[in-house]
Amino acid sequence: MNECYLGIDIGSISTKGVIIDNDNNIIASLYSWTEGNPIEAVKKLIKNLKKQLPNNYQIKGIGTTGSARKLIGLMLDANIVKNEITAHSVGTLNFYPDVRTILEIGGQDSKIIIINNGIITDYSMNTLCAAGTGAFLSSQAKRLGIDIEEFGEMAYKSNNPVKIAARCTVFAESDLVHKAQIGYKIDDIVSGLCKSIVLNYLNNVGKGKKIIGPIVFQGGVSKNIGVVKYFKEILNQEIIVDPNSHLMGAIGIAILARKNKIGKVYDLNIKDIKFEINGEECERCSNCCEILKIYKNDELVDAWGSKCGREFK
Amino acid sequence: MVKLKIGIPRSLFYYYYKDIWENFFDRIDVELVISPKTNKKIMDDAIKYSNDEMCLSLKNYIGHVSYLKDKCDYILIPRIDNYGTDNQTCTNFLAAFDIINNIFDVKILNYNINLNKKETEENGLINIGLRMGYSIKYLKKIYKNALKKAEEKRLSLIRKNIKKLESEKIKILILGHPYNLYDELFGKQIIKILEKNNIEIIYSDLFHSDITNKLSERLSYNLYWKYNKENIGCIPLVEDKVNGIIFLSSFPCGPDSLVNELVIRKIKLPYLNLVLDDLDSMTGVETRIESFIDILEGMNNNV
Amino acid sequence: MSKKIVSFPMLGNYSVPIKYFLSHILDCKILEPLKITSKTIELGNCNSPEFVCTPFKFTLGTYIEDLKRGANVLFQAGGGCRYGYYFELQDKILKDLGYDFKYINLVTKGDQDLKKIYQDLKELNPHLKVDKVLYYGIITKTMIKYMDKCDDYIRQNIGFEVVKGSFEKINKKMLEEFSKVKNIFKLRKIYKKYYKEMKKVKTNKPKETLRVGIIGELYTIMEPFANYYLERELASYNIEIKRYTNVHYLLFEKKRTVKKYLKYAKEYIKYRMGADAADNIGRCKYLCTHNYDGIIHIKSAFCTPEIGAMPIINKICKEYDVPVIFFSFDANTSETGIKTRIEAFYDMIEMRKKNERMLSRN
Repeated sequence: MNECYLGIDIGSISTKGVIIDNDNNIIASLYSWTEGNPIEAVKKLIKNLKKQLPNNYQIKGIGTTGSARKLIGLMLDANIVKNEITAHSVGTLNFYPDVRTILEIGGQDSKIIIINNGIITDYSMNTLCAAGTGAFLSSQAKRLGIDIEEFGEMAYKSNNPVKIAARCTVFAESDLVHKAQIGYKIDDIVSGLCKSIVLNYLNNVGKGKKIIGPIVFQGGVSKNIGVVKYFKEILNQEIIVDPNSHLMGAIGIAILARKNKIGKVYDLNIKDIKFEINGEECERCSNCCEILKIYKNDELVDAWGSKCGREFK
Repeated sequence: MVKLKIGIPRSLFYYYYKDIWENFFDRIDVELVISPKTNKKIMDDAIKYSNDEMCLSLKNYIGHVSYLKDKCDYILIPRIDNYGTDNQTCTNFLAAFDIINNIFDVKILNYNINLNKKETEENGLINIGLRMGYSIKYLKKIYKNALKKAEEKRLSLIRKNIKKLESEKIKILILGHPYNLYDELFGKQIIKILEKNNIEIIYSDLFHSDITNKLSERLSYNLYWKYNKENIGCIPLVEDKVNGIIFLSSFPCGPDSLVNELVIRKIKLPYLNLVLDDLDSMTGVETRIESFIDILEGMNNNV
Repeated sequence: MSKKIVSFPMLGNYSVPIKYFLSHILDCKILEPLKITSKTIELGNCNSPEFVCTPFKFTLGTYIEDLKRGANVLFQAGGGCRYGYYFELQDKILKDLGYDFKYINLVTKGDQDLKKIYQDLKELNPHLKVDKVLYYGIITKTMIKYMDKCDDYIRQNIGFEVVKGSFEKINKKMLEEFSKVKNIFKLRKIYKKYYKEMKKVKTNKPKETLRVGIIGELYTIMEPFANYYLERELASYNIEIKRYTNVHYLLFEKKRTVKKYLKYAKEYIKYRMGADAADNIGRCKYLCTHNYDGIIHIKSAFCTPEIGAMPIINKICKEYDVPVIFFSFDANTSETGIKTRIEAFYDMIEMRKKNERMLSRN
């Protein structure tokens, strides 16, 4: 029997899963949509991954990362639950041991990670709002009536990016509508949007960071060739986009699951597990915290959301 | 011999001291390099070198310094601690020197204004002159002259501004800090829109500051920011003469966030509160101003 | 106005000494503010101007809750930045909401005017005598000093307590006894007793721990609700915490210390930059040169002095190669986002530490 490890990255928009072997080779992988329901998304994801997995493999570790990492970690009884910054770095370092800078733009978050000699030495994440992230791009694409897949290509082709004020989602939206109204070409607007995302990223997330090559760009937005083009142009450096750039977080957490294995063998029969979340308002004080109670097969396994640290178990 | 070049960023301090500086340094053997009116390049640099959360006006200042950084020997950056306990300034005026000194590798000519400790602008400028080898007597004389010329110019501007209050046109008081009011990409854009709509514009900074400073107490008795006092202090003078007020501030100006809110709660005149965050995007601003003018015109016709 | 009921804004555990002081010198009922909750913030948020800094919103929310509970005299004390101007606008906002009350600000135009403070207090209690104010003033000052000393010890050790909650329990008991103390000797005795107890709390602190310094804007640092219980979160990762800002520092040490900081960090700053900006730059250099593993800078959104300090803090940390992370808290910051960032910060400093140890062994 061969050993393998499952890594799942559950983001706000997409859910990613990979299974790797002892040499970090990818045996199975899937990119799917979260659609607001991480539990269902993961169940579907695992069903699919199981089909891809040859019979002579057994799962010796599970890791979860992404915004729903804690919940899914509980559901799958994962042996490691880690934040996406660490996971992304571990994944990237596996393929690019010399990497110095990781640029990442995902659905709701964007981040920059600075690496020196294989360890994270600095990082930062977007602060206030979702401007300049994947969710923002897709909503603007929709507004302009463009398919998100075409978006990058249109942007790539244009050489006259229109200046768009993209510091804030609200301002950007009104500016975009305005520019479209007064007759700018749609390619140029799309291109301007991609450029402004890059500028915005560098002025916000990347502020004060020394961006040294090799630079690896990942996260959902790395598939947008328009954004890649402007990163190259503005940083004046080569930008590496791995074919698996969208899976990097999942790969990283799978590697961490391998490194932290506890000897347990996991079966993947989760479709029968009854897993429920109940949200209720705590009435102890006027904080009125929204408490999430997690039940696995009708048993309370965890609860979180209280500001005062009240225990529920 | 090559003249020493002193750079002055056309931002923040400049709008309060330009006439004194220009006249003073005119009598000293140096060349003044004043950064151009704010343009796109300056704004791009502003965003590049500043911190994302800084107020737009401080970013603007940083942009202007960036323009000057390799075009002169020294950059003139004063620091204002206070004009007395009752007349302090926004902390950016306390911090600008140290911020610039850390962001850029430039040589700075600096003096401190702290009236509580008797550190004045006069002493500051004279010290700069002394370092260049001029006599104290000469420097005192040219400072006095510079001050006189600057005051004369200001007086004539004030007279013009007050005269406009008699105009028959719709009159709007535009209330804001001079570094915002007269910046090419900021206040000037708003002024252009107002002029296009045939509005008589009254500027909040062009009144006798000793009077407005005192009068501000009628609207706010505990105010200790000099520049805000002198802005709002003109309201009692003009409130029955103008049709409306436009409050103009940069996002997220600390003093304005409180003072303007208090004043807005106290005045009875129609007002428009414009807080600008991004100079590239005047989208919507024009519409807001025009509809404000429509309201004022409607009210004017009904009287 | 009927019987006077006095209240004040909430600031961590400091409500104990504040209440103690006021209740002994004033002849009126003291209404202790409720702990800040989401509802407080909501109340403050919807009645505040949009881009004012967060402490304004928090204290306004507290006042509304206090007034609803019957308070009719409110205290405020702030200065150094726009904090000093809060009260005039808050007064107007609350009066516009229809409340009838007296608002006393202990700071005039950003400065402490002892004579005016005494006059204000005298108005509330005509029989007030100077010696009484001094007597209880000294006890209160000492109480704050003791509290801050205990807090410092707790901060360094709470991440390692064997029985969770041990420190908090002792601290709570101590504060309870503090609030009933009659004279300074008794106060000292109580402090000694509990400080000893704290030292006896079992901890499993390893020789080498991760040490992190917290610097930034004072209100956000001192009110745990405003910083999303950052210290508790860090302690859960077994991190030893160093923090400077406390009430004793602000009231009694700052004036002297800030000059030292200016001298200490003179290659970076020449002047006081407003509020605590210069202090934080000095502290940043200290932390960088004293083997701290990381620095966390926190502030409320729109805090102008700290925003000015940030590029300089960043520069110092770069020069000394110490990781730094900046948090800007607002009334609607996402809690999950903060937790993710802290976890990643922990991972990073841990990895760096391991790496350092490996390198030093080779």
